[in-house]
Amino acid sequence: MALKLWASSAANALKLSSRAAAPFPASSISRCFSSVIDGFRYSDSHEWVKHQGDVATIGITDHAQGHLGEVVFVELPESGTSVTKGSGFGAVESVKATSDVNSPVSGEVIEVNSKLTGTPGLINTSTYEDGWMIKVKPSDPSELQSLMDSKEYSKFCEEEDAH
Amino acid sequence: MSLQQTLKAYKFGIVNYLNALKLQERLSGERKAGNIQDTILSLQHPPTYTLGKRRTDHNLLLTESEVQAMGAELHYTERGGDITFHGPRQAIIYPIISLRAIGFGARKYVEGLESIMIEVASLYGVNAHPGKAGETGVWVGDRKIGAIGVRISSGITSHGLAFNIDPDLNYFKHIVPCGIRDKGVTSLRREAQMQLPEDEVIHDQLIQSFAKTFHFKDMQWSQVSRRPPPAAADRRRLHPTKCSAGGDGQPSAANYTQLNVTLVN
Repeated sequence: MALKLWASSAANALKLSSRAAAPFPASSISRCFSSVIDGFRYSDSHEWVKHQGDVATIGITDHAQGHLGEVVFVELPESGTSVTKGSGFGAVESVKATSDVNSPVSGEVIEVNSKLTGTPGLINTSTYEDGWMIKVKPSDPSELQSLMDSKEYSKFCEEEDAH
Repeated sequence: MSLQQTLKAYKFGIVNYLNALKLQERLSGERKAGNIQDTILSLQHPPTYTLGKRRTDHNLLLTESEVQAMGAELHYTERGGDITFHGPRQAIIYPIISLRAIGFGARKYVEGLESIMIEVASLYGVNAHPGKAGETGVWVGDRKIGAIGVRISSGITSHGLAFNIDPDLNYFKHIVPCGIRDKGVTSLRREAQMQLPEDEVIHDQLIQSFAKTFHFKDMQWSQVSRRPPPAAADRRRLHPTKCSAGGDGQPSAANYTQLNVTLVN
């Protein structure tokens, strides 16, 4: 029942935001569910990917940052480093816990978000925008297909939280 | 299903920090591969200062050679949290569990670790509480009795908690504990009005509280090595400036041992 409500609200939200011509409309409907961005892809370790042209921008999801608490430190790789799908590229620290962050795709790191050094909390406050962590040139764009879309990921989060 | 509901506890005596770290890395790998069930280690360390991933060594008020001169070790780790001290009579609990299997995030896990220490403190009439936001750990008034520093890799935890039963608190004078100035440290011995049982009893209570808090249905225990008897440990409590490197005050080699743990399901 809840899922039906969510789905119809999501549809309404999409209609509204497509008029606004945002390339990636947000479906942040109910406060019970973490927000996701339509058009992004998601890993089962709670990272998001925005793929535009030759660049994959990567961060951790709203679900992840909510479960972490306030991020106080971010460890990032250097530009030029290789990343592998499913393997760690960095870490975030919150509540005295460091959590490894995995890359959803393989490729080469072309840029890292240096703002996170001084303002790690951007991951909490601007999860899908200013809180991005790395930009990667994917070596195998087909890897994106095996990631979840926003609907699948939302369902995945619900199932995980239902434990 | 049963892998997630049974907790395997390994109990040790005094274990060198790096040996414990290597064991945790091995266990994490096995847990991630699904080869073993959720596991928890119960031990104590010889005098050891450790730093977290942020490498906040400005909170160590000694040089490395001064640390060595007092018979202590210094290690940089990948755990969260700031600088801390570990030593004999401080209960160390390292859970190696899958957070994904129970749908917990870092925050909920750490809150669970705090509640365990609070519960065990209450068994001795001590009223402990979690810190304010940003001050993870367990406090009695404004004195810290329990510290937390965790690593989560692919959803598997390592490192864990340190609960002061009756360690030599003088060692804490050489650090800004957890980077928080103007707050003291304390121990169960200082705060409790009653006689304390042997350390092992308190270690077991922490593990049982953990099993209950994280909804394990079953426990398996394995005693791998033991601490020296209490009388010997009391003789070894020296003020840091009187410690001689490697000499009197160090637990015997036999107690550091025995991390050839056979992993059985």
